[in-house]
Amino acid sequence: MEESSTQDHIELDEDTADLGTSPIPAAPYYQPDYFALEVEAIFRRSWLQIGHVCELPEPGSYIVREIEIADASILITRGRDDVIRAFHNVCTHRGTQLVSECEGSRSRFSCPYHRWTFADDGELLSAPDFERFYVDKADCALTPVAVDVCARLIFVNLDATPQESLAEFLGPLATELEELPSAQATTFSEYTYEIEANWKLTYDNFQENYHLRFIHPRSGAAAAGPQNPFGYPVNFGFHGTHRTQTIWSNPDARPLPFQGLAFVKGAELAMRDGFGDVTRAKQYYAIFPNLFLLGSPMTPFSQCVIPLSPTRSRGVIRLYWNGEDDCASRRFAREYAMATARDIHSEDRAVIEAGQRGLNSGALTHIHFQSQEILCRHLFQEVNRRVENWRAERDAAGRALL
Amino acid sequence: MSAVSLPSGFEALEVFVSDWSFATAAERAQRRLDSTAQEREVFFHTAENLVAPALDLLDAKPLDQHDAQEQRLMSLLLSLAHIGLAVEIQGDDEPRHARDARHITITRAVSDS
Repeated sequence: MEESSTQDHIELDEDTADLGTSPIPAAPYYQPDYFALEVEAIFRRSWLQIGHVCELPEPGSYIVREIEIADASILITRGRDDVIRAFHNVCTHRGTQLVSECEGSRSRFSCPYHRWTFADDGELLSAPDFERFYVDKADCALTPVAVDVCARLIFVNLDATPQESLAEFLGPLATELEELPSAQATTFSEYTYEIEANWKLTYDNFQENYHLRFIHPRSGAAAAGPQNPFGYPVNFGFHGTHRTQTIWSNPDARPLPFQGLAFVKGAELAMRDGFGDVTRAKQYYAIFPNLFLLGSPMTPFSQCVIPLSPTRSRGVIRLYWNGEDDCASRRFAREYAMATARDIHSEDRAVIEAGQRGLNSGALTHIHFQSQEILCRHLFQEVNRRVENWRAERDAAGRALL
Repeated sequence: MSAVSLPSGFEALEVFVSDWSFATAAERAQRRLDSTAQEREVFFHTAENLVAPALDLLDAKPLDQHDAQEQRLMSLLLSLAHIGLAVEIQGDDEPRHARDARHITITRAVSDS
């Protein structure tokens, strides 16, 4: 892992020098052409977090998740053999969407159109009057989608032959993710928002602290202090295409009375649950392309920023919990933690949209990232590298056809 | 609402039961957004010193063994989790904050179960 100490100023080193200091082109944050390239270069061929194992609690459980920008509907099953599989939610007869519910429990899936019926391992079990077809049942199984699990987080990859496994994609971070509270979670709370903003612009808001004192003067008060007025992170880490930061918190900050009561209750329960080791508590993971995870056992949240169009996205925030509420203090502390996180996220939305409106005007050819916005710069460089590689690949394929 | 709808010692909160008891976190969040500053402050300042003793009382039993009185008290505490943020953290910023928070939808909460 490469780290950069960041309290005052980031000195670019051999690991970060290639990120540069130049202004960043603005067009990739709103232009449809660039977005279309991102869909092909990134979202159709990267591992995307799409669920959690706790959503498939027993054999027969299934979930259906839409990936709108790829026009894909994904059926994820936990088979009788306990294996998690993913398929395109598409009947292999004539393409009808097989399952309309978002989740449930069953071991067979029947197409509503002509009743082709599939097992939870994708096999075609039966089809009325099948003798009249000119194909074998064995060749009519559901189309599989690459799926794998890390830290109980379910990832899929729409590439029929992914260029790397999930373990290769995550690299050494996979081990760290396995130590996070989400890796032990059995349930979660969730809130969502839709935003008129590009996915990168939205995501960038959550990987820089430059804005904290202006946008979160009250809800983020403990995240800054006289010795660190902007609440900049303790350090940044770069892990291939992913990145991390270690969050700084003001040691002199004192919670308000009611807030303190909720925090103390949450901390006591975290200790009792065995989360006393807070090694990862302040680690904030930015997993390419669009996932965040926070290591805090008291606010164990993830955020997935889902692109919907060049200038529209959806944020899905989850707080992952181990075990159902078993006592009043746990229920109260969890409710307060969720409401606190929701307050902070709600404060960001309007200003991100204001940024998008400005970019949409075309007034700027470039935007600027300071040294403490290096994670934003890293995301852009990683995205752009993939877009350029894909464009070159496509052009080469085009030339080969001539 | 009956005059004995809450456990003994929490009579001061009786007047809030009808307005601040909800089945889901989404309803509690919405009630916060729809509330007036006066409603929030009266509820919070009446209840803030009763929260610790209420949790002590309720923690004596698992949640699924709470009787109707204890369930009502728990429901008020959960509303306070939202209202406490409005009064103690946001203060007079709450109207502006509420404008933005309306765009954030709670789709599932562990407390809903």
